[in-house]
Amino acid sequence: MADVVILGAGVAGHTAALHLSRLLPRGSAVTVVSPNSQWNWIPSNIWVGVGRMPKEAVVFPLAPVYAKKGIGYRQAKAVAIRPEGDLDDERGAVDVVYTSPDRAGESERIRYDYLVNATGPQLKFGMTPGLGPDAGHTVSVCTADHAVHAATELRATIERLRAGEPQTLVVGMGHGTCTCEGAAFEYVFNVDHELREAGVRDRARLVYLTNEAHLGDFGVDGMTFDDHGFETTSELWTSSLYRERGVEAILGAHVHRVEPGVVHYETLDGEMHELAFDFGMLLPPFGGVALEAFDREGADITSELFAPSGFMKVDADYTAKPYEEWRGSDWPKTYQAVGHPNVFAVGIAFAPPHQISRPRKSPNGTLIAPSPPRTGMPSGVMGKTAALTIVDRIKHGDDRPAHEASMAHMGAACVASAGAGMRRGSAAAMTMMPVVPDYSVHPTGRDLADTRGEIGLSGHWAKLMMHHLFIHKAKGRLGWQLIPE
Amino acid sequence: MTDKTLSSTPDLRSAPLPTARTLRMRRNLPYQAYRFAAFNLRIVRMVLKGHH
Ligand SMILES: Cc1cc2nc3c(=O)[nH]c(=O)nc-3n(C[C@H](O)[C@H](O)[C@H](O)COP(=O)(O)OP(=O)(O)OC[C@H]3O[C@@H](n4cnc5c(N)ncnc54)[C@H](O)[C@@H]3O)c2cc1C
Repeated sequence: MADVVILGAGVAGHTAALHLSRLLPRGSAVTVVSPNSQWNWIPSNIWVGVGRMPKEAVVFPLAPVYAKKGIGYRQAKAVAIRPEGDLDDERGAVDVVYTSPDRAGESERIRYDYLVNATGPQLKFGMTPGLGPDAGHTVSVCTADHAVHAATELRATIERLRAGEPQTLVVGMGHGTCTCEGAAFEYVFNVDHELREAGVRDRARLVYLTNEAHLGDFGVDGMTFDDHGFETTSELWTSSLYRERGVEAILGAHVHRVEPGVVHYETLDGEMHELAFDFGMLLPPFGGVALEAFDREGADITSELFAPSGFMKVDADYTAKPYEEWRGSDWPKTYQAVGHPNVFAVGIAFAPPHQISRPRKSPNGTLIAPSPPRTGMPSGVMGKTAALTIVDRIKHGDDRPAHEASMAHMGAACVASAGAGMRRGSAAAMTMMPVVPDYSVHPTGRDLADTRGEIGLSGHWAKLMMHHLFIHKAKGRLGWQLIPE
Repeated sequence: MTDKTLSSTPDLRSAPLPTARTLRMRRNLPYQAYRFAAFNLRIVRMVLKGHH
């Protein structure tokens, strides 16, 4: 009947694949193309990165799950999309190159009727010289392997502290246009917790270095909370935690380069600074995974399908306009690619219309602007939304309207662990509704009843519960479809 | 879009410190069990309101 191909087996792509396998009529085929053989619950990489969880607890092999669900699986990476097919066949096609040990380097052209691009972020460590664990001098927690390495380095730092050597630990964003501030926030407080548990906190200087102009911005322009009948800000709320835990903050920073033991950064006032460090976890900026696109004759149409950042253009309003004119309605609803209604881009792979947080430049012209986060909950919802549209169209015809899920209407939860432990753990649990603020509907941009921040042990339980629930869901175990995205 | 009023090193001395009671409540098992339930209910409500 129809072939559906999904690129990427992360939160968005895997969710789409599971729902498609559940809902598609017999005779339709779902194929997932992903270069990694394992699924990774990325939010728990934070705990791997402080040595609280082994890597094995956050990953599992994809092949058995796909075999059980009747989903085709190619351990390969997509390199090009041909939305109009080629001279042999006018069905759309994707060119893939295998990464599995038995077929590494082999290429194949896979035909599709519907395509879901859920390739997530490209980790662009290269945008900051000296950044990252491979060619640089800092660690990362973006992948499970990076997190294992981070934990080893952290352990060595703690050993040096135990031996009486003072140490500076810097955690944050490795570039002015990074996103995912929530993850760095979470990691810095987990590191703080580990240093306290090891009894060495007093000898350590812990610094959070970020591109956010204000604490608590999180790339979403901050949040307003209702606190006992008063409006309060996420800035005040997070500042309290930094003060309580003795974590220093450096705001509005763009890291120009990292040398062994020294971060060179510029701040919004245009000043250049250096920070000497012994342990550094700085996240990379994200770009889209580099895919090319070709028309039927083989002419390059990459710039028609993709923004310069590498993210795929969808049904968003990409007209350049100033911050004051940004609206929730600029954000995509259906995730259909421009000009190709049978192609969808979901999760981190779609091109956002603009930032959510106010972008700023230093007097030197350096852009210091948090990129908009696409967290797990919205990514999963987008994957499911694309899957539902595809199912409807396969069952009832291509004229069926697309399902919709805009980040201007959906909420997100960010449970930022601030230390593990069933009795001694803690987390800053935040919910926001919606992700993209709409000041024409809510004076504070978001619904005050659902936009909240809370610190406590229950947040740790919530994070642990999510870890188990989402791995259960991703394994497609009994009742998985009842667990919300 | 330079904003001269922004400081790269915030003065955290004016940030509110939690009281001893707040710190105790953050680890108080019955209260945290209640907050856990409230958090989950909020998520369910958000899912019902926002998705689809
Ligand atoms: C350290 C960290 C902590 C986080 N914590 C939280 C949290 O607490 N809560 C939360 O909501 N969100 C969190 N996030 C964000 C969350 O991980 C992302 O929102 C989510 O993973 C995005 O899903 P995705 O499917 O778009 O991308 P991913 O999950 O990254 O998946 C992308 C997939 O595409 C595959 N791929 C890559 N290239 C290709 C190619 N060429 N062809 C085919 N496939 C390809 C990858 O192998 C992967 O399988 C965190 C992120 C990080 C880095």
